[in-house]
Amino acid sequence: MPSKSKGAPKAKEQANTGSNPSSANPSNINPKTINERSAYRYEVGNPLASKKSEVGGVQGLSPTERATWTNLTYVRKAQDQKRLPLPNKANKDLWKSINESGVPLRGLDELEGLKFPGNKIYDWGRDRAGRDIGEYTPEQFKKRRGKRLRVTQLEVLGRQFQALRRKVGGLATLEDEEIDKERIRREELAKLRMELYGEKTGTYAQDPEWDDIEPVAQVEGEGALASIAYSDDYAEAMSYLRAVMAKKEHSPRCLRLTENIILMNPAHYTVWLYRFSIISSLNISIKNEIEWLNKVSLAHLKNYQIWHHRQLLLDHFYPLFDPVDGQPATADNSEEVKEFALSEMGFLKKMLDEDAKNYHVWSYRQYLVRKLGLWNLSEEIGYVETLILEDVRNNSAWSHRFFIVFSNPAHASSNPEIPATKFDPKVPADVTEREVGYAKRKIEEAPQNQSPWNYLKGVLARGGKKVEEMEEFCLQFVNKLGEAEEEVTSSHALDMLAEAWAEKGEKEKADLALRRLAEKWDRIREGKEKGGHAALIAPAHSYSSATSRSFHPPRPQKNLHSFGARREGRNRSKTDGYPPRAGDESASKARKPGAEHEGAQGE
Amino acid sequence: MAAGRGGFGIGGPDSELIDEEFVHDTSSPHVAAMVPDLFTHPAPIVDPLRTTTSQAQKETVNECLPFLADCHQPHNDHGVSQLSRPRHAAFVRKWLDQRMSRHFVAVDASRPWFLYWCIESLDLLGEDVSQYGDRLVQTASWMQNPTGGFGGGFGQTSHLATSYAVILALAIVGGGALYDVIDRRAMWKWLSSLKQPNGSFAMATGGEVDVRGAYCAAVIISLLNLPLELAPEHCNPPGFNLYTGLANYVQRCQTYEGGISGKPDAEAHGAYAFCALGCLSILDSPDRIIPKYLDIPRLVSWTSSRQYAPEGGFSGRTNKLVDGCYSHWIGGCWPLVEACLSPGGETDSTTSLYSREGLTRYILNCCQDTTKRGGLRDKPSRLSDAYHTCYVLAGLSSAQHAFSYSEREGLEPWGVSSHTAAEQVFGEVDRVGTLHPVYVIPQSKVVAIKQYFASKSGF
Ligand SMILES: [Zn+2]
Repeated sequence: MPSKSKGAPKAKEQANTGSNPSSANPSNINPKTINERSAYRYEVGNPLASKKSEVGGVQGLSPTERATWTNLTYVRKAQDQKRLPLPNKANKDLWKSINESGVPLRGLDELEGLKFPGNKIYDWGRDRAGRDIGEYTPEQFKKRRGKRLRVTQLEVLGRQFQALRRKVGGLATLEDEEIDKERIRREELAKLRMELYGEKTGTYAQDPEWDDIEPVAQVEGEGALASIAYSDDYAEAMSYLRAVMAKKEHSPRCLRLTENIILMNPAHYTVWLYRFSIISSLNISIKNEIEWLNKVSLAHLKNYQIWHHRQLLLDHFYPLFDPVDGQPATADNSEEVKEFALSEMGFLKKMLDEDAKNYHVWSYRQYLVRKLGLWNLSEEIGYVETLILEDVRNNSAWSHRFFIVFSNPAHASSNPEIPATKFDPKVPADVTEREVGYAKRKIEEAPQNQSPWNYLKGVLARGGKKVEEMEEFCLQFVNKLGEAEEEVTSSHALDMLAEAWAEKGEKEKADLALRRLAEKWDRIREGKEKGGHAALIAPAHSYSSATSRSFHPPRPQKNLHSFGARREGRNRSKTDGYPPRAGDESASKARKPGAEHEGAQGE
Repeated sequence: MAAGRGGFGIGGPDSELIDEEFVHDTSSPHVAAMVPDLFTHPAPIVDPLRTTTSQAQKETVNECLPFLADCHQPHNDHGVSQLSRPRHAAFVRKWLDQRMSRHFVAVDASRPWFLYWCIESLDLLGEDVSQYGDRLVQTASWMQNPTGGFGGGFGQTSHLATSYAVILALAIVGGGALYDVIDRRAMWKWLSSLKQPNGSFAMATGGEVDVRGAYCAAVIISLLNLPLELAPEHCNPPGFNLYTGLANYVQRCQTYEGGISGKPDAEAHGAYAFCALGCLSILDSPDRIIPKYLDIPRLVSWTSSRQYAPEGGFSGRTNKLVDGCYSHWIGGCWPLVEACLSPGGETDSTTSLYSREGLTRYILNCCQDTTKRGGLRDKPSRLSDAYHTCYVLAGLSSAQHAFSYSEREGLEPWGVSSHTAAEQVFGEVDRVGTLHPVYVIPQSKVVAIKQYFASKSGF
């Protein structure tokens, strides 16, 4: 280290060399910068250096000067190698010559006569701000040196801490005070490293608790596609995550690690899945986790990992609800479940207040209803009704209503489950009536709103009712069809009328309805309305299967066959003779699939 | 697919800036002559009752009408904008090539999706993607886990969606060196571990079970020609294999509306509808399997209802807004639905069950970012992103082409040709590449990867 150069040589010695470099000028004995100081020391230590370059090399020096230079160079090199392999006599002569020349034995190396750019003797490097350290004042330099010494000191203490830790057999057996001291030391160390070198010490690298983990960094190489310039914090946390996941470690510190990463990147499915595995193995209370989760959810409304996490939590903790009389606990038989359900619903309301159609929130809600048996919970039904009251077009709310009404085990066959578009003989007639009435009332509020129309169709199919029963209801939205003063206030009504009339065999009227949809009221669907696929225009419900036979569970491929099931037991010509334009080639061609399917049905 | 959405837009132009007076000004005869009034006027029936939904719908119509009726971009005689190919290509290349800033950390688990979205977009735009081969191999290798499957990145848990995306990206570029990145035996074991008693698949170990899993798994199994038997350590009920109960699971996802939900009990949704039909169409010929498990008339009714006028685009659910990405999720259902209505033969290409014209207009006039930024988007007020660029272009491809299905021994049954029957509103220069309707990568690439693995007996 150049700074080890011992004190400034005496001015007298300097004068002896006969050289007079500017930096060695007595006026510069108090140099302003470290570079100046180095230059001064260099000149003092190498009195022949300037002269040598002035006269064009060693050859230009006087014989005495040359001998001094040679001797000095020799001694310095030999000194470096910690040996002087000369016979005693030669050794003695050498030292005599050196002593007589008055040149300091120790000094800054000559560096083969080369200087650094900017005529610097030594390159001190740059500090974190990019400033040349050589341009520091000696005062600033001294301060920096002090910091560097402190770094070394802290590192030594850190090694002692590690040794102690190994000796006592781990962190757990160490005094808290010791750990805290080390923590404080590392904080200081990190601060110093940042100040000195702009080097960021990661949070985990600083924490004694993570000393035993060798982080696994992401090294993809330069050419990686769609790469991300991660923040240091994220990259560090992820490299610790990889390491602990590989070890399958499930510990409180890993739980904290997952929280940290989730807050930086909540869309990280890996961390969520790992978090759940930690929670289940540590058996952390669901209450704490849900409280935390709620905060994360409200901060990241679009995130969907939270919902799967929530479901995993509930699956894991549900068995803790005490079964009632050997039956699984539900909101109907257990106050505890009901209370939990209500708190969940309170939170879900907050989420739906932000986005009433959030798909993942609704999916979780459906899961919750099944899991906790909330079918008859008045709060649940009431809430959905409130949402429909607020926005009659909220299809998610309609969809949920259909689910709670028609998947309610009291109203639905469960073994096997009957597809949603098919008749379920277990649905009570009064439920069907009630729901038909509800849909009708909602349609009247805004007849062009498709949600209640779809709902109505769904209820009719589920309840095994004919679409033609809706004819009168639909007609209030369709006036003077096909006439000059034609008035339609709902294209969905017209569509349902087409279905109802087709069902009744009133082909011409059905044809007219579809034509008017294609021509005026619903032109974008002209392809479907006028198109060749006549089979599609037939009513979708399966009332006939409801009235003529019961559902055959073991042979779903026959019964679930939509075409066959629908047509069976009815006058085929009514449906099949129903292309929009009779005799149209494409229509008859397209009827083929239906016919074939019916053949396959074989019933 | 909602799962894959980037969702990192930082807001778009305020839709309130669109002048309502201007929107309803239809006095320009020039415009009227070019664009059918179906696409220049609000729908014929609009209920007076105002709710949050109707407000949002009205705003969207007002936002789209200027783009549909009076486009300021270069357009053809039909009033349809041209496809800004170079800009869109540059946009997706940027996502692939440039390092995303630290602010994109949210997509750290979705990087495989970016590989697929960007490479497929370039392919559809007619760009050469072979140059990405080496870097793709390198990138994908880091994402693969020795225990099978690909995660979102190095050290991330394997996931069906990310595995699907990586495999498709490798398949698009194609070639043995790329296919061989995939550890098929490990993939098979991993898939066996994800198989659920209900027939579907978990997206990851401990992950969610939904219809995406059914589709992604079927794509992986069929492209890689994996054995259907479960790996020995997972072989519980005898005879239960990777495909057992899969179609039944899909069936349980059809809702009273006729559409398909992500999982039983939920609301019908466009992205899941595509996954459901895609999955079924892998298991068997669509004309056999789709009617066997789904109620076709209800399905068609719901799918058809997804298209709106005057916008022309598709929405993902009843009473939700049009969004460019459903050009694929819903648009991509149509070839599968049409194939199931035309058993064992060509689909009737003269009629379409949806308005190809409407979809084309929405895509080219409303979904293109024609500024320097490039890329395609959800709707005019949203920023373009890689996800929408891919699926809007895929939807455009579907609207521009006709599909046929016919089973021939040992040959790929799906055929794709230009859709020529109806009046074509887009210029021939704006025709994009073709896609396999199930795998959503080019037909030839499906054939190539299947052939490669068909020749591999065992592992
Ligand atoms: Zn979208």
